[in-house]
Amino acid sequence: MKVDIVDVGSGNVRSIKNWIEKCNVDARCVRHVDDLVSEVIILPGVGSAGPYMDRLRKNLFDSAIIEHVQGGGRLIGICLGFQIMSSFSQEDGGIEGLSLIDAEVKRLENRESHNEWEPFAFRKDQMNGQSFSSSEKLSRKTILDGRVFYNHEYGVINNDPHAFSVPVSLKLNQYSGMFVKDKIIGIQFHPEKSQLTGLELISMIL
Amino acid sequence: MRVGSTLLLKNKKCYQSYNWSYVRPLGSLQIAMDSLDEYECDEVAIIRPVRDCDSLDLFSRDLDVLRELKAMTPISFGGGIRSREHLELLEGLPVERFVFSSAFIASNQALVDSARRLFGKQAIQCLLPVKVDADTIYIYDSNKAQFLGLEKVDLALINELANEVVLYDTSNDGGHDSFDKSIIERLPLEKNRLVVTGGVGKSTIEWARREGLASVLIENKVLHNEYSIRGFKDGR
Repeated sequence: MKVDIVDVGSGNVRSIKNWIEKCNVDARCVRHVDDLVSEVIILPGVGSAGPYMDRLRKNLFDSAIIEHVQGGGRLIGICLGFQIMSSFSQEDGGIEGLSLIDAEVKRLENRESHNEWEPFAFRKDQMNGQSFSSSEKLSRKTILDGRVFYNHEYGVINNDPHAFSVPVSLKLNQYSGMFVKDKIIGIQFHPEKSQLTGLELISMIL
Repeated sequence: MRVGSTLLLKNKKCYQSYNWSYVRPLGSLQIAMDSLDEYECDEVAIIRPVRDCDSLDLFSRDLDVLRELKAMTPISFGGGIRSREHLELLEGLPVERFVFSSAFIASNQALVDSARRLFGKQAIQCLLPVKVDADTIYIYDSNKAQFLGLEKVDLALINELANEVVLYDTSNDGGHDSFDKSIIERLPLEKNRLVVTGGVGKSTIEWARREGLASVLIENKVLHNEYSIRGFKDGR
């Protein structure tokens, strides 16, 4: 198995690569859309939605990612990469996303931002009929219970009753911390910087 | 509240500091980060302790080390980010947040705005090195290598543009649990966006929790096993 990490010069792709490689899985950073060939694509993202979408479109990654998903490929979006999978984000005056998931992105209510470690737990057998569609079995874990690191100002509100969604926290329970629907996984926190929990999660996902 | 640590990066090597003037070598940045990863440190602020004699070349050389860093702990980085040329070098680093000090003190809004567009507002921290002397508070401008009166600093701009403000008690840097708690009362900044460092120990951590601060950064001790970060996080 190989993993392609979309690299549009925004986001700490090196940390994502390091995170994947800790599971002994090959990962490469892809700067040209023609090189996007692996079965799993990771869409990382740091910054704000407008400039990020501009870079995706300018480099033709937007249509390539949609084609990848329509062709049965797996997609993992992280932080801003998760947010722009939705149809619309309030950020930067309103940004149209990739519309891959039935969700919208809104500014966090009653707070400037969310820069915290939060408890994170789920059971694979309670994923609302969803699965990670793992082609490899890197882990036999069925329960994940740990802590994860968030750093964001906007949150994803899931509108799809059939998707599996783990809330960000008790206080921010209207926003998705992790979202799974078919072959799409969205992660609002930074799994690549979530230490042991991040490592356990990627071995379950891949 | 987060409990993290600071590391200094100077001439591609890692240090910890004492008294805002002295440094103790720690060796390679990767080895120090590996330990902090293992101790489940909540975050690490990697700071270049530069003054008025920094250059883009020295900055770039330190980034070479940072660029190769493999870490699973959230990192903020700063020290000498003073121009658009510096900003352009930051892309692709394994870093979540960037720390600006002289840019805020000089009210360089254009530079901070550029950084916000590149990395998002949640990625912008302001570092204010402070000291209290004869009941008066001073802010250290690293670019000029001198302390300034508080009236010279636009705190409203900092409040508006920075996601969090790191208050570095320079007088107690490296000291044992001696952070000057009066500092936060002297600055009109929102407590839940404050990060404190400089003489942070267990009683400072307890106090910071009660005050509802965002984070504390322990500038010393945490790389010694007997003082591991877990001990500080569990200490109440």
